[in-house]
Amino acid sequence: MKENRRDRLIENACIAAITLVTATVLVILSGASPVEACQMFFKGIFGNLNGFGEVFVKATPLILTGLGCSVAFRTGFFNIGAEGQFYMGALTSTWVALNLTGVPGPLRMVLAILTGFVTGGLWALIAAMMKARFDISEIIVTIMLNYIGINLLGIAVRTFLMDPAGSIPQSAKLDASVTLVRFLKPTRIHTGIFLAVAAVVFVWFLMEKTTAGYEIRAVGFNQRGAACNGISVVKNIILSAALSGGLAGIAGAVEVLGVQKKLLEGISGGCGYTAILISLLAVNRPFGVLVTAILFAALSVGANSMQRQMGIPAAIVDFLIGMIVLLILGRELFRRKAGRREGK
Amino acid sequence: MLEQIFTLTFMTAFLAAAVRMAVPLAYAAMGELIAEKSGILNIGMEGVMLAGAFFSFAGAFFTGSIFLGLVCGILGGVAVSMVHGVLSIHLAKDQSVSGISLNIFALGVTSFLYKLMSSGDTYKQIDPLSRMRIPVLADIPLVGSALFEQDIMTYVLYFLVAGIAWFYAKTSLGLSFAAIGENPRAADAAGIPVHKYQYIAMVLNGILGGVGGAYLVLVQVGNFTENMTSGRGYIALAAVILGRYVPGGILAASFLFGAANALQIRLQAVGVPLPPQALAMLPYVITLAALLTSIGKNQKPEALSRPYVRGAR
Repeated sequence: MKENRRDRLIENACIAAITLVTATVLVILSGASPVEACQMFFKGIFGNLNGFGEVFVKATPLILTGLGCSVAFRTGFFNIGAEGQFYMGALTSTWVALNLTGVPGPLRMVLAILTGFVTGGLWALIAAMMKARFDISEIIVTIMLNYIGINLLGIAVRTFLMDPAGSIPQSAKLDASVTLVRFLKPTRIHTGIFLAVAAVVFVWFLMEKTTAGYEIRAVGFNQRGAACNGISVVKNIILSAALSGGLAGIAGAVEVLGVQKKLLEGISGGCGYTAILISLLAVNRPFGVLVTAILFAALSVGANSMQRQMGIPAAIVDFLIGMIVLLILGRELFRRKAGRREGK
Repeated sequence: MLEQIFTLTFMTAFLAAAVRMAVPLAYAAMGELIAEKSGILNIGMEGVMLAGAFFSFAGAFFTGSIFLGLVCGILGGVAVSMVHGVLSIHLAKDQSVSGISLNIFALGVTSFLYKLMSSGDTYKQIDPLSRMRIPVLADIPLVGSALFEQDIMTYVLYFLVAGIAWFYAKTSLGLSFAAIGENPRAADAAGIPVHKYQYIAMVLNGILGGVGGAYLVLVQVGNFTENMTSGRGYIALAAVILGRYVPGGILAASFLFGAANALQIRLQAVGVPLPPQALAMLPYVITLAALLTSIGKNQKPEALSRPYVRGAR
């Protein structure tokens, strides 16, 4: 199947055009002027240092969860559970950060992040075991685990993790010694971004340069072929799922330790689901995930600014991103007839 | 506490609520069954239901008619399932990827449109569908009012399930619709128009999923909230697996999940000393447990989620 360059260009142009037209229509539907909305959008991102910093604050969990999804997707394990793994990571790391008061701050922070990694990984492991041993759809299982995780967090912030001094369902504030440092005040950028970038490099190295990564990719490429060459399918699915959940768990821990400094409901902001789209758009490549996550974060910062200033619902971003992913999936529809016949 | 639970009044109310919770799941699961029997796995059922819910709400709200609301819900559901149809039949794309993307897309679309609709007013409500009591039958103790004092959409479901069961078990057309999910190549060779039938299955999938979503709005609550399906589309997928791809079994599985939901609502109403989240978790936990019981009895169609491309190896 020869990939025609001109076809590709036409497809991309079609996708861009459809997106722009839809965006304009949606903005007009919201009763705003598209030109002004566009200005607000970019002003929100580049208008001041705080807004620009916010892009990286929002990108941090997206990079980690997106990376997590990409690791799982590469073995063909369709992990839709980043959301739940994020919640479990956030929950347990908060517990460690609040309760292990005997351990000095920085060490406790490291422990909290590790705990987030382990619980996130275990949460994904449940689905991986059910998939690998019993062939139960990981999609359904991870979704159910998402709802269970969200509710567990709801229970936690109302019972054993509830701030004894307050009456709202959230945990007590963490003391400053365990939190991730904000190194570029007044923005909220914290050292978690370095952790996220390090994770990208680590996953890239693991996937592209090591035998373990090669085996994971081999299983995703052709399960039967991998098995025939002595690569254990079960082992690799479980390994990649655990790593995937662990990364989402770290995202949860980092969001608690770096941004919120306490545990509260809805802390993920849906990033576990956005992560799926990020990974799909980045074709599961680590550096692709990095760039796409930052782009998505910028989109959401810009959209928030449009919502604040002009009342355009920020859900416009989810609308458009979902549409773009579907358009890319169906891109052959824009191909000229001749090209399509050739492809078949 | 326990005395409060095991009374006839509690059980009657519980069963009635269980049926009401089960109906939308059963509609969606029937739609999913038809799609999966034809070889198309529609993970996007959640999105189909959500579109059905939103558009039925919008339709009923603007026209003031429940029937027109239902029609809008069905159209919304069909629109979503057709996108999945084109991607997975015409373009032979990965059905999981397409389905998940559709779910996220449907969530974005409905949230955006609902925010537009509700700007200004915070709360919009429509009058839900009223119930129709069937004389005599509704007087049966315990189960009578649960089964025969419901809305018309529940009664339609009874006939629908029986009809689908008859269609697949007794008609040759039903056999064709199941054959394309088992062995599309052989079906094609036997002269069955595989892709055409798959598209028909996807339309039915959209209609039934749309009805399931619409039911949540038009019968259960009377308004729309963001992401109001909250995983019901996925639970419908689980119901199909648990029901072993047989309409009657799927109905029973839907009832089980409906009962889990009704139980948590009733227990909250009685005032069980547990955080509401612990009870809200129940349907999802039961779904997981139920999936474990289906181990080793895999009845899924042979060619499920494998795209059929004519002439490919």
